[in-house]
Amino acid sequence: MFRNYFKTAFRNLIRNKVYSVINIAGLSMGLACAMLILLYTKDEVSYDRFLPNVSKIYRIVSKQVNPDGSIQMQSGNTGSFHGPAFASGVPEIVSFVRIQGDYLNVRKGTEILPQEGHRVDSNFFSLMQFQLLYGNAKTALINPDAVVITETVAKKFFGAADVVGKTMELQRNGVFMPFTVTAVAKDCPQNSSLKFQLLTILQLTPAEITDRENWFNFFLNTFVMLAPGADVKQTEAKMMRFYESDAKDMIKQMVEKYNFKSKASYMLQPYTDIHLSKDYRADNGMVGASNPIYSYILSGIALFILIIACINFVNLTVARSLKRAKEIGVRKVVGSDRRQLIWQLLGESYIISLIAFLLALAIAQLLLPFFNELSNKVLSLSYLFDWKLLVGYISLFFITGFLAGFYPALVLSGFNPVETLYNRFRLSGKNYVQRSLVVLQFSLATLLIIATTVMYKQFHFLVSKDLGYDDKHLITIPNVSNNEISVFRQELLKNPDIEQVAIRNNGFNITVARVNVDKELEFTMDWIDAAYLPIYKIPVVQGRNFSMSTAYDSGSSVLVNEAFVKAAGWKNPIGQTVDFWYNKRKLTVIGVVKDHHYTSLTETIKPQLFSNDHNNFGLAIVRIKEGTAAAALPYIEQVYKKLLPLQPYSYEFKDISNQRQYESEARWKKMLLFGAVLTIFISCIGLFGLSVLAAERRVKEIGVRKVLGASVTNITTALSKDFLKLVIISLLISIPVAWLLANKWLQNYPYRTVLNAWMFVIAAVFIILVAVLTVSFQALKAAVSNPVKSLRTE
Amino acid sequence: MLLEIKNIFKWVTIGGNRTFLLKDINLQVQEGEFISIMGPSGSGKSTLLNVIGMLDGFDEGEYRFLHEEVHQIKEKQRSQLYKQYIGFVFQQYHLIDELTVYENIETPLLYQDVKSSERKALVADMLDRFNIVGKKDLFPTQLSGGQQQLVGIARALISKPRLILADEPTGNLNSKQGEEIMELFKQLNKDGVTIIQVTHSEKNAAYASRTIHLLDGRIENTIHN
Repeated sequence: MFRNYFKTAFRNLIRNKVYSVINIAGLSMGLACAMLILLYTKDEVSYDRFLPNVSKIYRIVSKQVNPDGSIQMQSGNTGSFHGPAFASGVPEIVSFVRIQGDYLNVRKGTEILPQEGHRVDSNFFSLMQFQLLYGNAKTALINPDAVVITETVAKKFFGAADVVGKTMELQRNGVFMPFTVTAVAKDCPQNSSLKFQLLTILQLTPAEITDRENWFNFFLNTFVMLAPGADVKQTEAKMMRFYESDAKDMIKQMVEKYNFKSKASYMLQPYTDIHLSKDYRADNGMVGASNPIYSYILSGIALFILIIACINFVNLTVARSLKRAKEIGVRKVVGSDRRQLIWQLLGESYIISLIAFLLALAIAQLLLPFFNELSNKVLSLSYLFDWKLLVGYISLFFITGFLAGFYPALVLSGFNPVETLYNRFRLSGKNYVQRSLVVLQFSLATLLIIATTVMYKQFHFLVSKDLGYDDKHLITIPNVSNNEISVFRQELLKNPDIEQVAIRNNGFNITVARVNVDKELEFTMDWIDAAYLPIYKIPVVQGRNFSMSTAYDSGSSVLVNEAFVKAAGWKNPIGQTVDFWYNKRKLTVIGVVKDHHYTSLTETIKPQLFSNDHNNFGLAIVRIKEGTAAAALPYIEQVYKKLLPLQPYSYEFKDISNQRQYESEARWKKMLLFGAVLTIFISCIGLFGLSVLAAERRVKEIGVRKVLGASVTNITTALSKDFLKLVIISLLISIPVAWLLANKWLQNYPYRTVLNAWMFVIAAVFIILVAVLTVSFQALKAAVSNPVKSLRTE
Repeated sequence: MLLEIKNIFKWVTIGGNRTFLLKDINLQVQEGEFISIMGPSGSGKSTLLNVIGMLDGFDEGEYRFLHEEVHQIKEKQRSQLYKQYIGFVFQQYHLIDELTVYENIETPLLYQDVKSSERKALVADMLDRFNIVGKKDLFPTQLSGGQQQLVGIARALISKPRLILADEPTGNLNSKQGEEIMELFKQLNKDGVTIIQVTHSEKNAAYASRTIHLLDGRIENTIHN
């Protein structure tokens, strides 16, 4: 029986190559996308689960709540104090390990290389059981001069992996000191939130260990291991009770000293939740923090594509059923019942799905590098392959076969044999299901196209918007302090290609101070020299810039930006006081700087304050003449190396680092484009198949019309019109939806492009054009055919 | 008695008007009979044949096949019934284009859950009987009309039906081929198979023992040859 079905199915496939190719191509593309996305989400949810005991590991996280109930701060960070304090006061907490991201210089021969590292507690490996290649996990981090490196780092510095006992020179407090490699770890898996390369022991001063004021410092990640069977909620409650009693005096003192109004609470975050957490993100030495929305968007696109491919199958199969009708009638007459026919037809769709599935596996494997680049991951079938994925893929296959085959099987098996065998058979003229499916297909395709257009426009807006300063031909060089800046500047300016040199603090600093006596204001604080604003071409709109002539404008003068003035509510900003009450320092505003986008355009311009205090300088800024980069860069490096032989030299172009802020947008743009192209393509091959069938079905009508004198244009139009109507209906449905969604998405951006009518018009015209091309090709072919032939076939 | 039809009516309603396809048909068929049905186009010949074959229903009347009251049993039992006892032959042959001669003949057996070895023997026997062993691996489109009809008849006979319903079996064949088919029917009838055929040709009708003339859905007269 099944052999008979298989034979019919295969011979049908081979006889009707166009449909087979359309169905298999569409389904395999849809399946390949779904497979890739399944890999992606699998990777997302598999994060950190490879660690043994991971279910018992939690991160201490904290929340600061204002008196009015609003959240002032949510953070996954704690200080050095929290771990030991909670471990001593809460019996459920068996052990703790603190991990702090580190960035240090390593000397290799005469070279100084920057290296990412982590400072951790000695018992790191007892909690985080990463695999070691060489060395003993228990003793690896006992000695203060111990260093644990990964295989890759070992190969980078020593050219070999087995380097236990060898010495590395690491810079600590400006001095290079010898450290002994005690263990070499396997490189961290790609789905690990902690991707350490080099571990040293977290060293703390006695004050840091005993001073209760450290309850209020947050700068590292603290992980705890809970006792078996410990209840998380109860443990959290105990932590809060312990905190409130242990830190009672300190809380009181802090309220008096700093006028702290918010209330802190501590919670436990499961280690496996960190990767996808929005509130308590993976940072400070942990990497790969991901927003689950990306998984949803991707899965949505994959689902779109798969649905569209299934719709092709359904529509083509039903449309083609005229040809199959006779076979079905015959089978019924010779004794098949409906259930057997349903099985046969479903079986056929499963055969096609199986072919598509196998093809999709190959396509997915082939596209994986491209997809990895798009999704910024290092996925591979091998490391994610397990029975769950297998089950996922197999169910994908079964669902696809069912989605594609069920409806046609139901329709076709219901044919009346008498009608089909006596040529009385007609597909019901309305075909609502088929039409609505086409409408659904094209609505989805249009939606994706518009989404892509909006994304492109917003991206273009972000990278081309006037930032309020000139980021062209600006080079930033870290590791330059106030000690070197004047010589550095002097030397550089000897080169005619170099226009200007300025300096500021390296990094980003947010702090708080009081204005108008008691109003607390949060703002970004930058330390700059007098050359900074001119080099960025940022105008001072009121008052004056810091003065060049003095070494630095007396420490008590500051500049603020316009947003600061607005937030403070000042009418006459010059001469106002900013009160850093906790440092007992009052600073006076001497000038107002025009607002500029000093952070990414995904954030609004926030209050900003500039100080001239040179102690924090660390990043040199060099403006070169246009087109001189090739000559100027080596010169800058040469000067730097002469001046700072022990520092690693690196530089960055400001405009390029600005662009990099929109990397995720750039990636999503590409992904959407890819998705849109695929959906359009699959929808169109489906439409093509339908138009072929329609032309076939109406071959007699076309013949009659031609005999009666219809022109080729008449007939082409008549044949294309029906499909175009459907496409236009889908446009009418999808454009408003797209408009709403695009608007909603753009709300995420404080600075956003405007949605123009032309974007929708272009998308609509594009879709119509593609549809017309697809349909009219076949219509034209039918229209120019000889009517004598078509009429004789009866 | 093989089958008995009593006062059968069949109609369609178009625009509120009832058009009768079959009007008060009464017919008794004995086992081993050979019956021809004749009549102009639209007189209801094929409809009657389809009603007898249980492919089509009727609106009023009684139909007994062997000991089953066809108008009372369920669709499933009905298909069980014709699957077992009735073979169909069509003017357009209606072979499945995707299957070879061998596979076409085999298909009814598949639906009757006949074992593979038995199937092989039955099909081989049939191919041999109709002298088409050499054509068994060809597809229908590779055969002449007469040959296709032979396959169609072989397929109808493979499940050893008690009744063959043939709807203008020679309608698409030239006269020589048609004659061969009719001779075959005669032989089958001699072997004990009951045959009811629809035909336009007086000559072919003469092969039967009884000819029923239809006009406008009603039996006009019955002639015993």
